[in-house]
Amino acid sequence: MNGWKRAKADLINYQKEEAKRFEEIVRFANAGMVKELITVLNSFELAVNILEKQGKAEKGIYMIKTQLEDVLKKSGVEKIIVEIGKPFDPSTQESVAEAESEQPAGTIIEEVEKGYLLHGRVLRPARVKLSKGKVY
Amino acid sequence: MSKIIGIDLGTTYSEVAVMEAGGPRILENAEGMRITPSIAAVSKSGERLVGLLAKRQAVTNPKNTIFSVKRLIGRKFTDPEVQHDKTWLPYDIKQSDTGGVEVKMGDRWYKPEEISAMTLAKLKADAEAKLGDKVEEAVITVPAYFDDSQRQATKNAGEIAGLKVTRILNEPTAAALAYGLNKQKNEKIVVYDFGGGTFDVSVLEVGDDTVEVKATGGDTHLGGDDFDKRIIEYLVGEYKKLEGVDLAKDALALQRLKEAAERAKHELSVSFETEINLPYITSDASGPRHFLMKLNRAKLEELVRDLIDRSVGILDKTIREAGFAVANINEIVLVGGQTRMPAMQEAVKKYFGKEPHKDLNPDEVVALGAAVQAGILQGEVKDILLLDVTPLSFGIETLGGVFTKLIDKNTTIPTAKSQVFSTAADNQTSVEIHVLQGERPMAADNKTLARFILDGIPPAQRGLPQVEVTFDIDANGILSVSAKDKATGKSQSVRIEASTGLSKEEIERLKNEASQNAEEDRKKKELAEVRNNAENLIYVSEKALRDAGEKVPADVKDAVGRKIQNLKAVKEQSDPGVIKNAIAELSAEIQKIGASAK
Repeated sequence: MNGWKRAKADLINYQKEEAKRFEEIVRFANAGMVKELITVLNSFELAVNILEKQGKAEKGIYMIKTQLEDVLKKSGVEKIIVEIGKPFDPSTQESVAEAESEQPAGTIIEEVEKGYLLHGRVLRPARVKLSKGKVY
Repeated sequence: MSKIIGIDLGTTYSEVAVMEAGGPRILENAEGMRITPSIAAVSKSGERLVGLLAKRQAVTNPKNTIFSVKRLIGRKFTDPEVQHDKTWLPYDIKQSDTGGVEVKMGDRWYKPEEISAMTLAKLKADAEAKLGDKVEEAVITVPAYFDDSQRQATKNAGEIAGLKVTRILNEPTAAALAYGLNKQKNEKIVVYDFGGGTFDVSVLEVGDDTVEVKATGGDTHLGGDDFDKRIIEYLVGEYKKLEGVDLAKDALALQRLKEAAERAKHELSVSFETEINLPYITSDASGPRHFLMKLNRAKLEELVRDLIDRSVGILDKTIREAGFAVANINEIVLVGGQTRMPAMQEAVKKYFGKEPHKDLNPDEVVALGAAVQAGILQGEVKDILLLDVTPLSFGIETLGGVFTKLIDKNTTIPTAKSQVFSTAADNQTSVEIHVLQGERPMAADNKTLARFILDGIPPAQRGLPQVEVTFDIDANGILSVSAKDKATGKSQSVRIEASTGLSKEEIERLKNEASQNAEEDRKKKELAEVRNNAENLIYVSEKALRDAGEKVPADVKDAVGRKIQNLKAVKEQSDPGVIKNAIAELSAEIQKIGASAK
């Protein structure tokens, strides 16, 4: 009898989990669109960097970028903070290349592409370049 | 009884599923994903990584990142497959003493089953977290062509990971089970499994209580990844023709292109044309370069037509080997993500002259089937019963007076949950289990149900002993709490009769209080957490000072010492900001130990 009760209780708990899962689905429902928007934002950043180098970055450009970032922020998107010189952390970062440097091997020497969290979950890891240390 | 899970232990990805309420369901991993890369690694800092985290560092750590180990498991080193795979796998492979295979990861050699066990252990742990219950048994799937040695090795991998492997199940049989095709006797089923890296065909025949494998065929080096490669090659070639720039030489550009190619492939399964738009893909003397190209379904099909034809050729050969004609086949099941491609579905349909089964997610169908098998082994019981729920949450007090919930309110009973805790101080030999009920985040604000002590824990560094606390509420609402030291097996328990122990009014009052005090509680909890962080940091810093010994100059030592004293002085203050500042100062100082010790 107790076994039956357990099975029935499992079912009811499952239904409750299902409700929680549904909430979860709603929370992450726009993940797909947000991900695509992040691709746009990353391209935008590349553009701003180039314009900066050419001395052509105008205030309006930054304002558009901020607008886009604000929209994402309101949907629960957070930028992943990457600190140059810190050790690589695969829980939020992805290593895409290595280069010789003065920094100790395995530390971050460049952020190649920004990463983002959605409600605390990694939506896109930050892409980083790591130091190989000094190779003689 | 804990649930038996079903595991699809794949070459590139693995999935876990479980039977729930009469149907199988995929369990998400700790990262919130339904699939887990079958990859293990030892990072350059010596840390062991499994799954997604291992994958994220694979590019810069290829020698110590072990993937595709399923290609090696249970095989002899002299096996032609192993000899072939050895030529392209980036990590070191050698012959073991017994003639098997060993792979090198970090500074150690491992058997393939040990590597698979790491993936399985992660799947087990993540499933436990998701289910809130221990998982002890599993059904694991293997390709139908796996021989005894490969099956035994897979089983061993499960045992190493702490799982009793109740059944090793053939992947195509699992797929058939997921579609419920095991019920029609004498049916002949073909499973066409086009995965990321391998292609398998199996011909099955349903017997009395069995599903017999009549023939298997395939190509262990044909998969969806080959499709991606074809697209990338095409895009790189076109760009070179049009723009005169070779993107294959730019690692970062290639990475972006690879992602875009995969995305384009997926899009072309639902639409007829897609645009690959990658601004600032690279730059040269003339300035930034962009990538903008259209790709349509017809072009994609043209690029991979020979690969699809090859798979159909293998399909035909395998059915003949089984001694059947195409007309004998009753059911066709599609497995593997690549089978979403309309041209592939069309090719299979044309070959058989009938529609294949493709309703279930082709990436998940094997794991779902494994869960169905687990459900059969477990003996699902169905009946109608009325059951109760717990009106309030149950849990214990943990470091800093925090209330850690084990069973949430409104959980239907009977139910059980367990979680592992540890000690807060070095050489602590006993822990007090303070059992509480309520909704408030701080222990003091909730109702104490019982207190008991588990002693006899062998002295050890704090955080090392593992004390497993289990809450079990039976159908009558009687709560039993037990605590067990995993090292000695010593345990203590307490039974709390009429476990709600509260009147209806009391329950309502506690619930209301909880919502009214939410803000204040949050602050209290934050303060407790900051204090815990402070204590941890003090502990770590003092240990670092002791360990570093004479290697650290006296001035650095003094500075760290002062910051430790400072943090000790402020950590009991009620402003978390002040404590946080002191933590930051000490953290900054402590890094100098590392720097000066070199």
